[in-house]
Amino acid sequence: MLSLNDITVDIQNSRILRGISLAVGAGELVCLVGRNGAGKTTTLRTVMGFLTPLSGTITFNSQPLPGMPTYRVAQLGIGYAPEESEVFGDLTVEENIEMPTWTRPRGRPALERVELAYKVFPKLRQYAKRGGTQLSGGERKMVSIARALALDAPLLLLDEPSEGLSPAIIPTISEGIASIRKLGRGILMAESNVHHIPDYADRLYVIERGEIIFSGKPGDVRTRPEVMRVITGTA
Amino acid sequence: MRSHLLVLLLLAVLALLPQVAGQYHLTLMIPFFAYGIALLGFNLLFGYTGLLSFGHALFVGIGAYAAAAITSKLGLRSFELILVASAVGAFLVAIPVGLLSVRYTKIFFGMLTLAFGMLFHSFLFKFYDITGGDGGMRVLRPSLLGMDLSTLDKTAFLTGPFYYYCLVLLGFAGLAMWRMVNSPFGLHLKAIRENPRKAEYLGVRVRLYRLFAFLISAMYCAMGGAILAVSTGLADPELAYWTHSGNLVFMVVLGGFANFLGPIVGAFSFIFLQDQLMSLTQYWRFFLGATLALIVILFPRGLMGLLQDLGGRFRAAEAPAPQRISHELGTERVNP
Repeated sequence: MLSLNDITVDIQNSRILRGISLAVGAGELVCLVGRNGAGKTTTLRTVMGFLTPLSGTITFNSQPLPGMPTYRVAQLGIGYAPEESEVFGDLTVEENIEMPTWTRPRGRPALERVELAYKVFPKLRQYAKRGGTQLSGGERKMVSIARALALDAPLLLLDEPSEGLSPAIIPTISEGIASIRKLGRGILMAESNVHHIPDYADRLYVIERGEIIFSGKPGDVRTRPEVMRVITGTA
Repeated sequence: MRSHLLVLLLLAVLALLPQVAGQYHLTLMIPFFAYGIALLGFNLLFGYTGLLSFGHALFVGIGAYAAAAITSKLGLRSFELILVASAVGAFLVAIPVGLLSVRYTKIFFGMLTLAFGMLFHSFLFKFYDITGGDGGMRVLRPSLLGMDLSTLDKTAFLTGPFYYYCLVLLGFAGLAMWRMVNSPFGLHLKAIRENPRKAEYLGVRVRLYRLFAFLISAMYCAMGGAILAVSTGLADPELAYWTHSGNLVFMVVLGGFANFLGPIVGAFSFIFLQDQLMSLTQYWRFFLGATLALIVILFPRGLMGLLQDLGGRFRAAEAPAPQRISHELGTERVNP
């Protein structure tokens, strides 16, 4: 589904990504783990077309993505929930979730897509008429993920979905992500906290200073103390 | 529901106004209708899309000169034709101007639109043979819905059939804009204003939507310009001058760009405030400027924002005292 091969990205003459390669298959949950500043968000933004790689290839369902404008990447079927839980404050929760059904009208009927989003995060239904500015951080995060899901995207990019949330709300977000995976959607999740990585993740990539230093099953990473030291911040 | 009733009530008051108001004030209502229509479009770009243009007088000028060209040069008198020609002319000019301008935002967008406005003004000023130069072009009285009204004197025409024609036009223009801003298109514009990058993540074609908003605003401004030209009987290059673009901004800020009715309230307040100040002092521009400064400082959401705040306070005062619920005891007690 999504494949990054040897991606190199510079931002203002600084090399941020150095030959990143990773893959996400249909229905897979893949985690990209790394410390702050390691290059996780840059990787997701490069996939979304905000940054153009200096070298390497990115393909989504065999279609090359570099050079494609962001709106086209989204319309192809990649839903992005950024780290800042970007919810439109002037729009209601309902409008926020409906919006992708207008920008990507093909695929499943709009009503079905919106219902699916509410099914994943049932709590949002009671806030449907509430404005985006009246939501808590956790609720905003839910709206952000539900909105990406309403794009009817086969692949979702979730940037630190648990970042900055109270421990009470994290299980709700985790359950939502598990439900999305059960729907057969591929997920590439960037995460800085190794403890927030779901046990059912199919594959793990550890990124450090723009390089992938580990790829494999989540359980295998624990057998690599040097990698664990990096992702737990003790290196 | 309450706001719909209020709008209907206001339209009814405006419809009855010719029965009670004097002719002088009724003639002032024609520019109000013109600016009301123009500003509805202007605010789609400014209030809803977040792009502040300092050159939209260009399109007001196109509407006025379209009216002049059709009536004076082509000898056609249909006001419906004038409106269509104004809108089409503005649309055609707005395509290249918009394509170049919406690539930028904030001050760069403002300066670029200002530059295009100045270019057009220079064209009107210098190409005397085509535009009449500083003297402008005459706009002959048009027919309304095929009715030749040349037997009426000018005041009777403006305060009678033309008044009602413009009122209905403002109603339709407002209804069309209301539907637009509450449609997915309008919500896309709001999303773009709030955060264009975020909107792109969801598949919104930001530049295309900005261009659409630009084109629509240009057409509304041109229709307003056509009404202004008919009311004065002249297409004047000053209509396209940058100070006139400043007036459009002034009116929207005065009324409140965050509210749908703000531009209309702004147009009304500006016209009558200007008229009163002009009759009181030769330094009216000073007082008009001071008024804008005070409004921006004291009421940044404009007159509509002020009205909303007052309404909110009134409702809060009318509402029953809040009740505090004691969860521990499962009882309810009223605040002292």
